[in-house]
Amino acid sequence: MLPPQSVLEHMNPFEHPFAQWLEQLEHFGRLPAADRQAVLDLPHRLRRLDAGAYLVREGDIPRHCAVLAKGYAFRQKLTGSGARQIMAVCIPGDAVDLQNMFLDVSDHSVQLLTQASVADIPREALQQLVRNRPAVGTAVIAVTLVESSILREWVVNVGRRDSRARIAHILCEFAVRLETRGMIHDGGFELPMTQEQLADATGLTSVHVNRVLKSLEVDGLISRRRRYIHFDNWRALQDVGDFSRRYLHVEDHDIIDEAS
Amino acid sequence: MRPLVIENHPLAALARRWSRHTELTPHDRDALLAMPFTRKAYSKDGYIVREGQQTTECCLLLRGFAFRQKLLSNGTRQIISIHIPTEFVDLQNGLLGTADHSVQSLDRCEVAVIARPVILEVASSYPNLRMAMWIDTLIDGSIFREWVVNVGRRDARARIAHLLCELALRLEQIEAGRHGMFDFPITQEQLADCTGLTAVHTNRTLQSLRKDGLIQLTARTLTVLDWDGLREVGDFDELYLHHQAGTGAR
Repeated sequence: MLPPQSVLEHMNPFEHPFAQWLEQLEHFGRLPAADRQAVLDLPHRLRRLDAGAYLVREGDIPRHCAVLAKGYAFRQKLTGSGARQIMAVCIPGDAVDLQNMFLDVSDHSVQLLTQASVADIPREALQQLVRNRPAVGTAVIAVTLVESSILREWVVNVGRRDSRARIAHILCEFAVRLETRGMIHDGGFELPMTQEQLADATGLTSVHVNRVLKSLEVDGLISRRRRYIHFDNWRALQDVGDFSRRYLHVEDHDIIDEAS
Repeated sequence: MRPLVIENHPLAALARRWSRHTELTPHDRDALLAMPFTRKAYSKDGYIVREGQQTTECCLLLRGFAFRQKLLSNGTRQIISIHIPTEFVDLQNGLLGTADHSVQSLDRCEVAVIARPVILEVASSYPNLRMAMWIDTLIDGSIFREWVVNVGRRDARARIAHLLCELALRLEQIEAGRHGMFDFPITQEQLADCTGLTAVHTNRTLQSLRKDGLIQLTARTLTVLDWDGLREVGDFDELYLHHQAGTGAR
């Protein structure tokens, strides 16, 4: 097992690699102080990795659970015919493979979208924590349930929405999720995805994604500067995307509306 | 065919299923069976949970089938998962509050309604039951991921074949079928809503699977005639169902 990092490194809780993850765990209720400390004290090893690096490969039997301290990742699977589907995008503060704590073999791959700083927690340490601290256990289950809720919405998105709605919906989703981590700046955000990756997340072709993004721009809903997406008309974009934030289980406030 | 009735205590089947992925002590088992619940029956399409509802309870399927769905503003419906006996259809409502989707009865079903505080109390006092609950939610998540892949990147024939493989294996795991025959009362419209297809496309696809000697599907029964063939068409690998899960938890 890895030794806990020195306490000195953790003097400022906002610089702790688990700071955002902890905030997420406390979304449905504050944890007792001892539980918070136990989360922060989890043994871990920090790694800096480049975009494209694999955190887990389908078929692996992982020994660690990774928390994204900085950077973005995505979950993907390849079909028998070689097509790729991205099933989820992980943002800073997400634990990317909690399921590997208890499930036997990884059923999909997780790859980094951007350069990232990743904290690997030995799975036994996390299992112990969840077993011994009911409040942490329940919080982790709640986070897993929200993740499932997002997956359900993605089934709906690729199953029953047209291409324009799919793209608008995914942009709205990112906006609200990033907002909860304080990552919306000037009424927009940096979208660290290529058009090909967006296509793989929405079951479209990249040509199609390109066309939809242009049409959303022409219609005055968004504007783009390289990977930065600005919401020019947040309300209308939500309408196009058939978007309601209920499935994200976050508070009902609209920072973006104020900014746009 | 064996009827989908749970013998003895209504919650015993859940204890049996959980024991497959989590080691339960007699103490855990007793606590599980002691959970107070009420039985409720639903007819076809009956709403067990409605989107937007503030929920204070969780439902465990005792008999029959249920499905999760969302209605879209364009008037279409997407079915997000199918549930079989011994599964919770809405465990998330025990923790998250407002229902973010609806749950309906596929044909007829009966559920055990368990109050949220009971679920929370069991989860907090019994580490093994908490683990079992969590493993269930993780497997649910894995199935949702596979459904995203299915509707996102597979053609119509593969989508339907994949779904039928999944259901057959899950039903087999709870010993609800024999010799590749399953009591499974799904309509073509419901199948279409599971796979993001139109009813016409679904009908045509089912006919082609039937013509190729892979399956037989009547109003109430699914028969898998050629398992290997169906798997291949459906690009199916059961890893994501995690029927071997739990080895890592011990």
